Amino acid sequence: MLLDAVLSNREGSAARNFILSAIWWSILGMGAGMLGGLEFSMPDLIHNIPQLSFPHLRMWHVNAVAIGWLSMGYVGAMYYMVPSLAKTKLWSERLGNFTMWAWNAVMVGAFCTLINGSTEGREYAELGAVLDVLVAIALVTIAANVYMTVVNRKVKKLYVSLWYFLGALFWFPLVYIIGQRTFVALPGLNDAIVGWFYGHNILGMWFTTVGVGMMYYLLPRLTNAPLYSHGLSMLGFWGIALFYAPTGTHHILQSPVPEWLKAIAVISSVFLLVPVLTVLTNFFMTMKGKWQQVVTDMPLRFAVTSCMFYLVTCTQGPFQATRWVNWYLHFTQWVVGHAHLALLGTFSFILTSAIYYGLPRITGRDWHSQGLIRAHYWLKFLGFLLMMLSLTIAGLIQSAGWAFGVPVDQWGLQIRPYWGLRAVSGVMIVLGQCIFAYNAFKSLYTPAAKAADAKTAEVKA
Amino acid sequence: MNGYRLGAIGIVITFFTIITATVLLPMVLFNPVPSGHGNKYVKSDVVNPARGRQIYVREGCFYCHTQFTRLQDRGYGPLVKAGDYVWETPHQLGTARTGPDLTNEGGRFPSEWQKAHLINPRAVKPGSIMPSFSHLSNRDMNDLVGYIQTLGNQRTVHAYVEAPAEYEQVYLPRKTVDTNSDAAANAGRGIYTQNCAACHGLEGEGNGPNSISLEKKPANFTRAFYKQYPDAFWFYRVSEGVAGTRMPRFNEILTEEERWYLVAYLKSLPQNQEIVIDKLDQLNKVGQVHLPKLTEQEWEPHSGGN
Ligand code: HEC
Ligand code: HEC
Repeated sequence: MLLDAVLSNREGSAARNFILSAIWWSILGMGAGMLGGLEFSMPDLIHNIPQLSFPHLRMWHVNAVAIGWLSMGYVGAMYYMVPSLAKTKLWSERLGNFTMWAWNAVMVGAFCTLINGSTEGREYAELGAVLDVLVAIALVTIAANVYMTVVNRKVKKLYVSLWYFLGALFWFPLVYIIGQRTFVALPGLNDAIVGWFYGHNILGMWFTTVGVGMMYYLLPRLTNAPLYSHGLSMLGFWGIALFYAPTGTHHILQSPVPEWLKAIAVISSVFLLVPVLTVLTNFFMTMKGKWQQVVTDMPLRFAVTSCMFYLVTCTQGPFQATRWVNWYLHFTQWVVGHAHLALLGTFSFILTSAIYYGLPRITGRDWHSQGLIRAHYWLKFLGFLLMMLSLTIAGLIQSAGWAFGVPVDQWGLQIRPYWGLRAVSGVMIVLGQCIFAYNAFKSLYTPAAKAADAKTAEVKA
Repeated sequence: MNGYRLGAIGIVITFFTIITATVLLPMVLFNPVPSGHGNKYVKSDVVNPARGRQIYVREGCFYCHTQFTRLQDRGYGPLVKAGDYVWETPHQLGTARTGPDLTNEGGRFPSEWQKAHLINPRAVKPGSIMPSFSHLSNRDMNDLVGYIQTLGNQRTVHAYVEAPAEYEQVYLPRKTVDTNSDAAANAGRGIYTQNCAACHGLEGEGNGPNSISLEKKPANFTRAFYKQYPDAFWFYRVSEGVAGTRMPRFNEILTEEERWYLVAYLKSLPQNQEIVIDKLDQLNKVGQVHLPKLTEQEWEPHSGGN
């Protein structure tokens, strides 16, 4: 039947479709990032094609990886994890699949508009009005679906991951709707204040909260160990709820916005160390005595790498938000490195772990090749380290340039080698992602006979 | 179940408190009045800078260029104030500086240069990594250049540097010294010789002995330019110094009355003819300075070789 083909009712189909879409958009998004990175090394590589000029690639890159890859992947993972934690089925697979189509429509629209420069001109909120409304609708339906699933749960207690997921699905739709400023034109600096409330909270109230929720889900399962402490996990949750949301203004700490707002932002940024350290203590204590499993268990390796990067990002963050460090580092590639550390290093890795863990359990088919998973890991991990290193060094050179009044033309020449390294790292990461996609394709679309050894995975699980 | 209800209420309340504090409150409390120094987009037959701004947004220049100057940015023109941005929406403050800050870019280069730079940055700036925007139509290009040329057009130094409001409203009304009288100027002379001459020179020409070692030279008060300074502004400069230079903040060292005497003295300094040099051979050629040869002992006093 047509309805079943388009809006399937099969269990797990919404999660699966979301994850596959996420992988698809990740390749387009990361590919655009890679191309943009190449253009820093070879500025005349592409000429006279407006769609491929760096700023247009950048808009698409950011939206594709944030709204396409990470967000869709997150929703897919939640559609899988929430029912398993609530020991029930997803409230409505049909609604889930409907959202999946809506979200993919948004991404197609985003691709067509952003690449042509049709933008609202607000960083992280570039999407036009129609797409904004569609995303808002999609978010609300997702929230409804997940909340109803939890309401119908068969267990009494809510595991921490559910707290994080439910929190995120309450926060993020609101943050999104407020932050897009779709139908309002605020005076310049107020626009910036709301803009950074959004720009930071898409990270704080969505990527972090869902990401940490997934870590809480995955680590105990992958290691077969109970969570170290429930008290700590709740402390971390409330810490994030209290201190994450007001930090946005630390992105415009040196602009003429009110000092009291800056003070709130700086103080709560520093306080963020509290939830982050509680969360990580919890993870590392859970891992105690299990570290050797990282050698053989690939999803676990992705997850642990993600936790390590989380530690680095979240110590960098508060440090950068203080006035003096910000004075020195702001405006430079250091910050770009930090952003990649959060979204690529931390949250991409945990999402990848969730997919490697979850997809076989959703579809009943084991991964086509373990070797390719390893290749993916090493390309992504080493590529990312290279990217982080080159961006950080480039950022320090730029900072010194700004602080000592060296003209752009001069330090611009000094950082060319690092642009080169960054381009190489981009190629590695995209290659890794392509391998990932190929592996997923092979696992799902080889004839059933060949997928016989999927059973072994089921048994192991 | 009740436990969770409490948690949910907690989350909703904290979140709405935070939204009120950081999103709604700034909109209520923070309404900068237009400063009159923001960018002014005047349309002409040839260019439409307001449309140029849309092109700037469309082409995403703000991913590489910022539009706010900071205290520590050297050579990027006057600092911005909150009131400069009232009409700037969507804001183009920017977050990364892969290229220079463009706050006061207007008038820095001829329009032809800007156009050539946009078409092929490397033709006019070898080694630049700015992308080429040669795909822009002629009209787009002209409007964009028109926009670039208006950036900071109202932020000229004459219009911008003003003493903060309290100097006009608080200090000036309670001034006890007649800053136009010879007596006050005479009283100021002594204070000047003691505190300022080492840098600004006995005649106020900015050539005191300390000036040799200063990167940013002390002001020469005999320039015609300083004859336009109002009292409050002199007083402000003497009180708060000049950020980014070695000019001290004298409000911590001298009393208010002493500073007003100084103002009287500074105003009484004679005005020099400003010399404009437009030919090379008019330049005062300075002979080369020969440094004295140091003996080994002077060179390394600690080597114990007496
Ligand atoms: C990839 C980043 C990038 C983008 C995007 C970009 N620029 Fe640049 N821009 C630079 C760099 C780097 C320089 C310094 C080297 C040079 O002058 O070419 C520069 C220099 C400039 C200058 C000269 C500033 C000065 O005072 O020396 C202007 C004007 C300028 N850009 C305008 C624009 C405009 C307008 C756009 C959008 C159409 C734009 N730029 C987009 C990187 C960028
Ligand atoms: C340590 C050296 C030093 C001393 C001592 C000093 N000045 Fe200055 N002064 C400077 C420098 C450097 C500048 C910056 C000139 C510039 O901005 O180009 C300056 C600038 C000024 C200016 C501002 C000029 C302008 O362009 O607006 C005033 C007024 C001034 N000095 C007055 C004084 C007075 C009065 C005293 C003594 C009470 C004094 N200075 C002592 C170094 C000094």
